[in-house]
Amino acid sequence: MQRRSPYPYWFVLPAAVVFVTLFLVPTVAAFWFSLTRWDLYTATYIGMENFRQFFSEPYLVQGLGHTLIYAVLTSATKSVFGLLLAVLLTSGIWAQGFLRTVVFFPVLVSTIGVGLTFSVLMHPTKGLFNVGLATIGIHGPGWLTDASLALYSVALVDLWKGVGLATLIYIAGLAAISPDYYEAARIDGATRIQQFWRVTVPLVRPATVTVVTLSLIGGLRSFDLIWAMTRGGPGFSSDVLASVIYKQYQAGFYGLSTAGNVILFLLIALLVLPLTWWFNRREVDL
Amino acid sequence: MTAFQKRTGIIATLFAVVIFIIPFLFIFLMSVKDKSQASHQDFTWPEQWQLWQNFSDVISARNYMLLLAYFNSTVITVGAVALLILFGAMVGYVLQRRQSGWNKVIFGCVLAGLIIPPAVVPTIWVLQGLHLFKTIHGMILIQVAYGLAFSVLLYSSFIATIPRDLDEAARIDGARPLQIFFRVILPLLKPVTVTLIVVQSIAIFNDFTNPLYYLPGKQNVTVQLTLFNFQSQFQTQFNLLFMNILLVTIPPLIVFIFFNRQIVAGMTAGAVKG
Amino acid sequence: MAEVVLTNLTKSFGSVDVIKGITLTIKDGEFCVFVGPSGCGKSTLLRIIAGLETSTSGTLHIGGTEVSNLEPSDRGIAMVFQSYALYPHLSVRDNIGFGLSLARMPKPEIARIVEATAATLQLTPYLDRKPKALSGGQRQRVAIGRSIVRNPKVFLFDEPLSNLDAALRGQMRMEITDLHATLGTTMIYVTHDQVEAMTMADKIVVLNAGRIEQTGTPMELYNHPATPFVAGFIGSPQMNLLIGDNARKLGCTTYGIRPEHLIPSTTDGLWQARIRHIEHLGADAILHCDAGPLGTMTVRTGGDTDLSHGAQVWLTPMPAKEHRFG
Repeated sequence: MQRRSPYPYWFVLPAAVVFVTLFLVPTVAAFWFSLTRWDLYTATYIGMENFRQFFSEPYLVQGLGHTLIYAVLTSATKSVFGLLLAVLLTSGIWAQGFLRTVVFFPVLVSTIGVGLTFSVLMHPTKGLFNVGLATIGIHGPGWLTDASLALYSVALVDLWKGVGLATLIYIAGLAAISPDYYEAARIDGATRIQQFWRVTVPLVRPATVTVVTLSLIGGLRSFDLIWAMTRGGPGFSSDVLASVIYKQYQAGFYGLSTAGNVILFLLIALLVLPLTWWFNRREVDL
Repeated sequence: MTAFQKRTGIIATLFAVVIFIIPFLFIFLMSVKDKSQASHQDFTWPEQWQLWQNFSDVISARNYMLLLAYFNSTVITVGAVALLILFGAMVGYVLQRRQSGWNKVIFGCVLAGLIIPPAVVPTIWVLQGLHLFKTIHGMILIQVAYGLAFSVLLYSSFIATIPRDLDEAARIDGARPLQIFFRVILPLLKPVTVTLIVVQSIAIFNDFTNPLYYLPGKQNVTVQLTLFNFQSQFQTQFNLLFMNILLVTIPPLIVFIFFNRQIVAGMTAGAVKG
Repeated sequence: MAEVVLTNLTKSFGSVDVIKGITLTIKDGEFCVFVGPSGCGKSTLLRIIAGLETSTSGTLHIGGTEVSNLEPSDRGIAMVFQSYALYPHLSVRDNIGFGLSLARMPKPEIARIVEATAATLQLTPYLDRKPKALSGGQRQRVAIGRSIVRNPKVFLFDEPLSNLDAALRGQMRMEITDLHATLGTTMIYVTHDQVEAMTMADKIVVLNAGRIEQTGTPMELYNHPATPFVAGFIGSPQMNLLIGDNARKLGCTTYGIRPEHLIPSTTDGLWQARIRHIEHLGADAILHCDAGPLGTMTVRTGGDTDLSHGAQVWLTPMPAKEHRFG
């Protein structure tokens, strides 16, 4: 006879009920509803029609492209600037603690607040961006009003808001590197630049994996900053999957909106899973 | 400190002020200006300081909607964080202490929870079926469902550092499973609990997307939603819009000042594991 | 007060048999030591008695009751852990009283018992401290205090002294022995240290690879080891063991002679050897000798020996002290 375990499975139950009902069930149901015409009460099976429509509407396909550009761009810039800032902010410079605080604080601030503030700062004529550029004789662009620029302007603000988190993770990663390696490299005659490329970059790898993965997932799901700054405009020039999902939902195309959700889900799976696999494989090679 | 470190530090500080401080200074200056000066949207010193005036105008706008929004946001944040702590710790505990085939399933769920974007409309459909749509408690449960993965991850790695001997000593002392958990384990989780409270509170308080979808309706406004909705109303009253932004920025600032260390610990928790 | 009876007890983790059928009776009031090398199953056996592990088969009686299906707290046992397992968030007072408060004993009653226990263990000045503010020996005493208040029928100790330094270990050995003398309760004590086993036990159970090698009083094991394993494990320095051809010439498969039972001589004897190394311990001296085909022989002799490194010696075993196995 088995006595009861001191770690009963019912401890998992409350969490499991909430997680399964409100997360797993909708996720699985999404695959079915994406194949239907749906008004929340009755769902009519229409096969791949939603997906066909999604990929035949140019602005929807564009949204997919924007999502990729936005995610890759923010993820890459956050990694690069995050690492550089982390190296700078661990080198014992003057006001180091203050600088860490300042760089990190935007992470905690309301995304909507940041978005609204920067949309004012980026105003084509009155905004501080262009007023500042004008003082040095540059005629600034319409950051958010120029259709070819809007997505990149939002990505820039995303970098401003998110680089602090990347920096923080890199600082933790750098702290985990034993100073012995740098001393050994210096004895071998490595310059500071060589130390960065030959010691720091390879050994800070776990942090890079975290930063790239986290910011890529975040970038692919990004909605509130874009919504606060441009609402996907001008036109559809800064629409991403998440804003398309919202717009279709608002318009009452629930099946189409859900198809967008499924596409986002698949996109994340297709990008993140191979990336994690590749990162782990490289780890073994080391 | 070498001269080089000092010089680099000063240059870096100058850059930091321009890039990171000016936007916040801008928010503050705008929020104390009068209506006409604020409408220029420029980076200038206020001609007239009306901090208090703007503050009371924002609070009383739309029949004190901001107060209602703060109340709702607080209820959601406190409720959701309390459940996240309790449920997350319980799952992390069993996950760490009891090795079985279920562990893989739970880890799979944690990974899914961290990566997969929630399916919006199907979630609304489920909420409607359960009569939780457009309700504060429904919103709380949504935040719990979305935040659980992170809680479980943090707790399970922390519980791994608590010796099993303590559970066993408590068993011999006659503690039942619930007593072991509440009287021995939970008090020892305090450091990670503080971290989680701080990090999750900020995340939930700042959340815009989920209340937008799952909590429509005037009675249910949350702080972030109010801010967004005021944008159109305050199109001509930038001083009030920025006063609102300022008010939304202050809670995280206060939390940050007092819990800097815990926030850093929480945010870098994933970095060590890779 | 209780007798502990194990009958055909086994334990397997998956396909690995850790305990391979143990039958053993520990008499009421006995101080019984489980000793053996690491991985021999002694800790697992103790944890089965405690109820922290379930046995795969066999029965376990404490005080005449079959306890295999009882919770640890219902078996009338108390346990002192190797790490002491003091609750870090509770004061000494609350650590000692934890079990009583779980049993919903009235608060004044708990306070009385805790204070009385603390007084006997000289812990009174530390009652309001947290465990991390105590020394190793004090923590040890708190752990013992926590087990005493449960008023158990059997005390279980899992290598309780291994985290202490040598001086303190000696002192705590005496304290635990005194405790046993005072309480007269059955105690089961696990250690890998044969010195602890020899000095503290009424009965030693030598375990090896999940089986009992031999059970007996310390002197029985010393004088009459039943197997080469016990012979090698009990006694320090280790018994000299000869195997193969060397043993066959002496009429057995394993031949054993303790270092203190070899008489060294500079003039004549049975085996010729050369001193490779000499350890002076004061009262005693340990000679490590190179005995040609016999290999290394260890000899204990008086501290006043004038033998020195490199000297030629003859070694002769005391006839009544030889051990022949198989």
